[in-house]
Amino acid sequence: MTAKLAPRFWGAHLLALVLVAIAVGLGLWQYGAWQAHREAQAADLTDAAPVPLDEVMGPDDPFPGTKVGQPVIVRGSWVPTGTVYVSGRERAGQDGYWAVTPLAVGGPGAAALPVVRGWVAHPGDAPAPPSGTTELTAWLQPPEGTGQPDDDPTDDVLPQLRIADVIQHVDQDLYGAYGVAEQPEPGLERADLAQLPDVGALTSIRNLLYAIEWWFFGAFAAFIWWRWLTEEPEPEPAEEPADTPVG
Amino acid sequence: MKLFSTYRVLAFVVGALLAFCSFVALPLRYLPTEGSSLQQLGETLSVLWVAHGWAFMAYVVVTFLLARKLRWSIGFTILNLAAGLIPLLIFFMEHQVNRKVRAEHPELVTPSAV
Repeated sequence: MTAKLAPRFWGAHLLALVLVAIAVGLGLWQYGAWQAHREAQAADLTDAAPVPLDEVMGPDDPFPGTKVGQPVIVRGSWVPTGTVYVSGRERAGQDGYWAVTPLAVGGPGAAALPVVRGWVAHPGDAPAPPSGTTELTAWLQPPEGTGQPDDDPTDDVLPQLRIADVIQHVDQDLYGAYGVAEQPEPGLERADLAQLPDVGALTSIRNLLYAIEWWFFGAFAAFIWWRWLTEEPEPEPAEEPADTPVG
Repeated sequence: MKLFSTYRVLAFVVGALLAFCSFVALPLRYLPTEGSSLQQLGETLSVLWVAHGWAFMAYVVVTFLLARKLRWSIGFTILNLAAGLIPLLIFFMEHQVNRKVRAEHPELVTPSAV
């Protein structure tokens, strides 16, 4: 092995070091990208500066995946006849309801955004739905819907804030989203946000897989280097038995 | 011989994935207009690069073992390893390896491995 440390082999050692360093470095880079992507996706937008709703999404747009919890400013007229109560909402350990009234964005008849005005223990205790025009700030949330059916479509209580259910209660289009009012109405408690960004296990998994790959190749280069360092100078193949088939 | 058959299978898998990624997924991802459905398809198909990378890892190990066993020269070994990264080269190299093995180690080629 000491023979391999002779100056004429220094170039080979340097090459091995460079190859291993490059592979480790590229692996670290991919690993960093993987972490950065995950952090970006988990960003909590709820404290961000409010922006006008039309800058985030239009009435016919799909929900922008990176805007969960974004505070938006909504201006328009209430649609009090479209008020619904969403059951099964817990607040401080108590089961209750969300009071939801659509807000026609821009003016009466325009596409509306369902707004969670607040939380109430019983729909009967809720104040009368507001009417007229307003401007409020709300956290934007994607619509719910795991397919739980509304067991009684004729009343105003829904099991989930599903756009397809709310639309039965209004005469206009609805946004593919809902808002949770930052300031609850007097007589209502503030509703908790149901959905905050969640980092999926697969988020940018590709970068992690690349990182592992690079480290593998680094280890492989180091392995070959080590094999070459430690192997004895080979005797001529002629004096060895011919390769025998294996397996 | 199992190592030789494994080499041939891996060479084919790596070569097919590399050719598909280079000649289909890559142009689809960058040539069509950003956001169009074709471009989205290219984006989705690009996942196969990961598959190529992992298949290539296995290919490198198996090819290296085969090279040691059959006492390939360093140049031929490196060329074969690099063939997993250069589109279409691997199909040519696999053909060369096949010929070489048949000529030098006919006992390794079972009748079924054509």
